[in-house]
Amino acid sequence: MAEGRNRARIQRFGSHLSGMIMPNIGAFIAWGLITALFIPAGWLPYEPLAALVGPMIIYLLPLLIGFTGGRLVYDFRGGVLGATATMGVIVGSDIPMFLGAMIMGPLAGYLMKKIDQLFLDKIRAGFEMLYNTFSAGILGATLAGVAVLGIGPIVNSLVNSLASGVEFTVNNGLLPLASIVIEPAKILFLNNAINHGFLSPLGVEQAATAGKSILFLLETNPGPGLGILLAFTVFGKGISKSSAPGAIIIQFLGGIHEIYFPYVLMKPLLVLAVIGGGMSGVFTFVLLDAGLVATPAPGSIFALLALTPQGNYVGVVLGVVVAAAVSFTIASIILKTTKDVEEDLTAATGKMEEMKGKKSSASEFLTPGAATTSDGDVLHEAGAVTSTPGGKATEDVRRVVFACDAGMGSSAMGASILKNKFKKENIDIPVTNTAISQLPEDADIVVTHKDLTPRAKEKLPQAEHISVENFMNSPEYDKLTQRLKK
Amino acid sequence: MAKAVLDRENIKLNVSIATMEEGIRFTGGILVANGYVDAEYVDKMLEREEMATTFMGNSLAIPHGTEDAKANVLQTGISVVTVPEGVDFGGGNMAKILIGIAGKNNEHLDILSNIAIVCSEEENIDKILNARTEEEIMALFSDVG
Repeated sequence: MAEGRNRARIQRFGSHLSGMIMPNIGAFIAWGLITALFIPAGWLPYEPLAALVGPMIIYLLPLLIGFTGGRLVYDFRGGVLGATATMGVIVGSDIPMFLGAMIMGPLAGYLMKKIDQLFLDKIRAGFEMLYNTFSAGILGATLAGVAVLGIGPIVNSLVNSLASGVEFTVNNGLLPLASIVIEPAKILFLNNAINHGFLSPLGVEQAATAGKSILFLLETNPGPGLGILLAFTVFGKGISKSSAPGAIIIQFLGGIHEIYFPYVLMKPLLVLAVIGGGMSGVFTFVLLDAGLVATPAPGSIFALLALTPQGNYVGVVLGVVVAAAVSFTIASIILKTTKDVEEDLTAATGKMEEMKGKKSSASEFLTPGAATTSDGDVLHEAGAVTSTPGGKATEDVRRVVFACDAGMGSSAMGASILKNKFKKENIDIPVTNTAISQLPEDADIVVTHKDLTPRAKEKLPQAEHISVENFMNSPEYDKLTQRLKK
Repeated sequence: MAKAVLDRENIKLNVSIATMEEGIRFTGGILVANGYVDAEYVDKMLEREEMATTFMGNSLAIPHGTEDAKANVLQTGISVVTVPEGVDFGGGNMAKILIGIAGKNNEHLDILSNIAIVCSEEENIDKILNARTEEEIMALFSDVG
């Protein structure tokens, strides 16, 4: 039992992470496009527009994440606090603070909620407004201030320990293991500190004597990120799936690696995929003795190839391909397995609600409408449960959706029957089925068992709701068919 | 080898069943015996029935496992059991046709939708209950216009 509860808690945590990132993907893509196009090494270098790049990634994106994170916990008020507190970690560090925002946002929202719970009912009438603004102001100022002072040392010590990790692998000839440090560091935007502070100088030294260095490839290999985005393209869902192909262009061709970070932040387990991809890529480079003559910036496939010395093309290309393939494979497995988990979660909550709220309904479900007799009249009378008065006009109905608790059995059967009736009458309106918890916004008519109709109405109040008692043979089906027939 | 979703061996006609639990165990047992699910799936079917009835109306019940029982499904399959005297599926609902479902990747939805369309006609319910051979059932469920 405890294990189940923990699992649910972890799943909720996971959906919170994507809840913070997902709504902001558009801003990430906007930033990625601007960066890929207008930076000096971009496709259309144009300084006035490139000026957007820094402020957007330093301020806009973390603030959006912080706001969204706070809002998830405590609505708009939480969002405002989340953004305010996030400002503290932004100012206190000199790297883009995505992770900091993901922590500060929800934390600030949560603290505000707790403080409100403590004080709100003690506030005298007439003073609520004053309390509301000043409590938020004071808390926001405090959190931002603490964050400014606290975050710097944390980032510095992280950079130092990561850098010494990379140093160790380089000095001991364990290069592939460097990916264990480098790939997560990239996601946290600590890569530049490692790259420019340590790998690049050493690489330049090697290149000066040997004409090339593998160290230039460790962090700039676009393969691992490509694998992640490909996996989302194939196995993702919703926005993450549809935005991934565009992100590939920005990341792989444009060399703006940051664009795949949000996808990993949504599902932190995916860091295993980039590590695996990175390691196998580096291993390939080592095996084939591949190197570059200088640091490719940005890390696009074109920049890599441009800096590849004669005779190294096979090694470089193969390293990228291998990294992408390995990362794609691991990411796909993670996406496929955790996807099921998410669906399980919604189904489980749906079921739980049903068990909680409708303990007695199972028996009630069975009594009145019992379609056990072959007496059609009895059946019809019992089956004619109320439907919303004043149904929608035919031209307003674009989609009919059947819903049940899990979206597996009964709604599927009901939908098939109605679909069949529509087909016979040449009604060209799609009929689908789903779990109530996943009712789509654009459903115009929702058909549910009468015990579940209240829940469906709550979920989708603007739709017309039809209650049936007998999914197999409800008179409502014929009524609806007649109504929608032209 | 992949088996058909609905096989001749998955159909049992004119069975006499006393209780709902017995009915579910019998229906699930066919799926276990023919290698569609593991034995634990039957417990999940009983668990699912406790959550909400699978009685659909028109003398039809479609016992199946819970959402998390998908791991117990080895292969998509359905079993069909006819019980002419009926078995009480709770609250006096007499189920005469029990269709056990083990669905993986929604592969069962095609046949489920055929079954739904067939069973929505009362006369077809009688046809099923009067069927003498398994082939008649298979024919009824396989071609729907």
